[in-house]
Amino acid sequence: MNAVVKPRPRAIVCDGNEAAAWAVTLAHVDMVAVYPITPQSSLVEYLAKFVADGRLNAEIVDVEGEHSVLSVLHGGALAGARTYTGTCGPGLAFMFEPYLRTPGLRLPIVMSIVTRDTLTPQSVWGGHQDAMSVRETGWIQLYCESVQEVLDTTIMAYRIAEHRGVMLPVNVCHDGNYLSYGATRVELPEPADVDAFLPPPAVHWHAALDPERPMGVDPLTGGAGGPGPAMFVRYRKGHCAAMQHALGIIAEVHEDWARLIGRRHAALVEAYRMEDAESALVTIGSMSGAAKDAVDQARARGERVGLVRVKTYRPFPVAALIEALGDASRIGVVDRSVSFGWNCGPLYQDVIAALHSARRRPATQSFIGGLAGADLTTDHFGRVIELVGALPDDSGLGAVIWLNEQDR
Amino acid sequence: MPAYNTIAFRPELCNGCGDCMRSCASVKTGSADPANSRIQIAADDGSYALALCRQCADPKCVASCPAAALDKHGDDGVIAWDGSKCVNCLLCTVGCAYGGIVYNAAERHVVKCDTCDGDPACVKVCDTGALRYITTARIYNEVGDLEDLFAPGLSGCQGCNTELVMRHTLRRIGPDTVLATPPGCIPGMGAVGYNGLTGTKVPVFHPLLTNTASMLTGIKRQYRRLGREVNAVALAGDGGAADVGFQSLSGAAERGEQILFICVDNEGYMNTGMQRSSCTPFGAWTSTTPVGERGRGKTQDAKNLPVLMMMHNCEYVATASTGFMEDLYAKLDRAIDASKRGFAYLHIYSPCTTGWRFPSQDNMEVARKAVESNFVLLWEFAPGEGLRLSRDPGRPVAITEYLRVLGKFRHLADEDVRHIQGTVNRNLRFIEGLAGGQHPAMASLAADRADQAGTQR
Repeated sequence: MNAVVKPRPRAIVCDGNEAAAWAVTLAHVDMVAVYPITPQSSLVEYLAKFVADGRLNAEIVDVEGEHSVLSVLHGGALAGARTYTGTCGPGLAFMFEPYLRTPGLRLPIVMSIVTRDTLTPQSVWGGHQDAMSVRETGWIQLYCESVQEVLDTTIMAYRIAEHRGVMLPVNVCHDGNYLSYGATRVELPEPADVDAFLPPPAVHWHAALDPERPMGVDPLTGGAGGPGPAMFVRYRKGHCAAMQHALGIIAEVHEDWARLIGRRHAALVEAYRMEDAESALVTIGSMSGAAKDAVDQARARGERVGLVRVKTYRPFPVAALIEALGDASRIGVVDRSVSFGWNCGPLYQDVIAALHSARRRPATQSFIGGLAGADLTTDHFGRVIELVGALPDDSGLGAVIWLNEQDR
Repeated sequence: MPAYNTIAFRPELCNGCGDCMRSCASVKTGSADPANSRIQIAADDGSYALALCRQCADPKCVASCPAAALDKHGDDGVIAWDGSKCVNCLLCTVGCAYGGIVYNAAERHVVKCDTCDGDPACVKVCDTGALRYITTARIYNEVGDLEDLFAPGLSGCQGCNTELVMRHTLRRIGPDTVLATPPGCIPGMGAVGYNGLTGTKVPVFHPLLTNTASMLTGIKRQYRRLGREVNAVALAGDGGAADVGFQSLSGAAERGEQILFICVDNEGYMNTGMQRSSCTPFGAWTSTTPVGERGRGKTQDAKNLPVLMMMHNCEYVATASTGFMEDLYAKLDRAIDASKRGFAYLHIYSPCTTGWRFPSQDNMEVARKAVESNFVLLWEFAPGEGLRLSRDPGRPVAITEYLRVLGKFRHLADEDVRHIQGTVNRNLRFIEGLAGGQHPAMASLAADRADQAGTQR
């Protein structure tokens, strides 16, 4: 028998913001642009410290606002750099203009959204409203449940973003307060293993600014005559195709991570105790931990309840979600944000659209909770399970249930 | 074409003192009688006119001489007269349109200027600067062989000054450049291109109107990281620099990013239909400051962006005009050099024939008048050196000489003109104060930099 013993992984105790900074370090990012904003601030402080300590060999650009944060990275990426930043809430709103442009340029930038509820009411606490507000801009969005998943996903995000069949920016979303500041035990992957997993960045010649190979990047395209209309459609269609292609690549990259690093995360959706489930909760982000505890409690009572956690939110994993939901006839979707136009949560909206595409019509209910830093506890999910179990067969888009409405 | 030196005359600076004629006559004939001078200055309807050999490139005097007594020298360009061959036919004097070769009764033959072997006596005694000994076609000779890095046939308006700025600047900066042209006239005329085609021979891109300096930051930093010398250059309009792009511009300047940022100031959003910007001057008509029963054009003075940039501790800041190309090139050279050490900002005034409403053939005249009236001041700033006026603002032409050429000022009342004159005067006093080191901010800035330089040594 082979006597080589793999060394125990190095474990540290850290919060999600530090975990993201570790991931950036392990991914050998060339350029980081920083501007502080609660609850992301400690993340960029860690990055600055890692650079100052010589641990992270990156160009760090301290700019005057989030708009420039992403703009600097546009420049860096167009010159071939692997780039990273993080933001949230008002910062994300302020960088919206370059943010919108990033996927169209097909720049493989990775950016954490340390999710925060949007103004107003004035608030500095967690919630998914910021990230959800940009769900239709063409970025890939991955939502993490744990600090370990933040670290692992942030590294994986580079493989996904830089894949030649994807070439899209990735948001790794981790919940403000709950993951940003919640410290847990985290295993650091071996740098050599990460190097084997993630090759050095290549210059992306579809859009690059190099005097040795001059090109005009992003000439005016479109209009009503000449080659414009067809050309514009080609760009949009290519973007859509890359988003769909990304579903497979995300799964492949997670598989490689499991093989090389030894830790397996659900890639698109995670099915938790869904075997023979009649009722299903659909969750996203850090709330899933408490929700799983509540499922365990219900299972212990003999109830046939399971949970599906959505990790890949954009592109939306329709097939994987439908498969994970199995034959559940009652589905409760818990959102940490609001779709004002539909009077429900945005994830709920996606779930019923996916069910429709599969010609399925289970009873559904939208729950919204955890806004502006509110806690979602096992008790809240116990109530969700109870309500879902009692849903009339024809339940669908109707009155939303607000989980923290009665909190004292 | 080789460059030759020649004597140039600026009538607006001439006071008719006659020193040049006396000096020339003394040197050439030993008598100070102006009648013997090879240079003649004559009063001409309130101004002064010059009669002097221009040392023409295609001299009619030489062509008309039947005796080969006149010859243009290939080495210095001077047209020399050989008395041993001259037959006194005087055909040359008929051929010359400038009064540059004339019969002198005392000497009994034709006389003309020989530039005193490259050290003209007349120029030496001209205190007003009206006479200068300059090199013709210097710019042409220096940059004529450099490649124009924009494609021919850009779709700028007829007589576009901005296109002139673009072609001159990029040609000088050279091909090892990444060029940013934020939305405006420059990409609008096709610099970045349309539908997959490009108008520029160096890598070029549209930043957003807001983020030019930030995108260049990322590009420059990455090339520095790779150890490659690449110029990061912006050709931006005043809107993208002074208004919505100011935050990123200010941030990059404060960080000392190694960028050459050229603001081509045509005093508004000319590409989108001539709307007001913060660089639009008082009184100007624009499509968002229209003139009507109650509207009188813009009601505020222009933001002084180059002064703002100077206070960012930039490596180099200057204003320039295409009406003064030698000055523009000198500043461009300094700016390119400074951008290898830190942030360099060049503010080039660019009259807009379409948006300012003047005939396109008057472009250079408008550019010159703006400067000659002190509406635009030409200066440069470098840390340690402080601010220097690069053109003497003394004896300006009347502001109305400038304003009356432009349709956008056609509606101005006398009081509006007085307001503009007041702004021009105030601005001049302010810049002169800075130039003299009189302004406390300037004095401390220069001192700080001197201290820093000392510390670094």
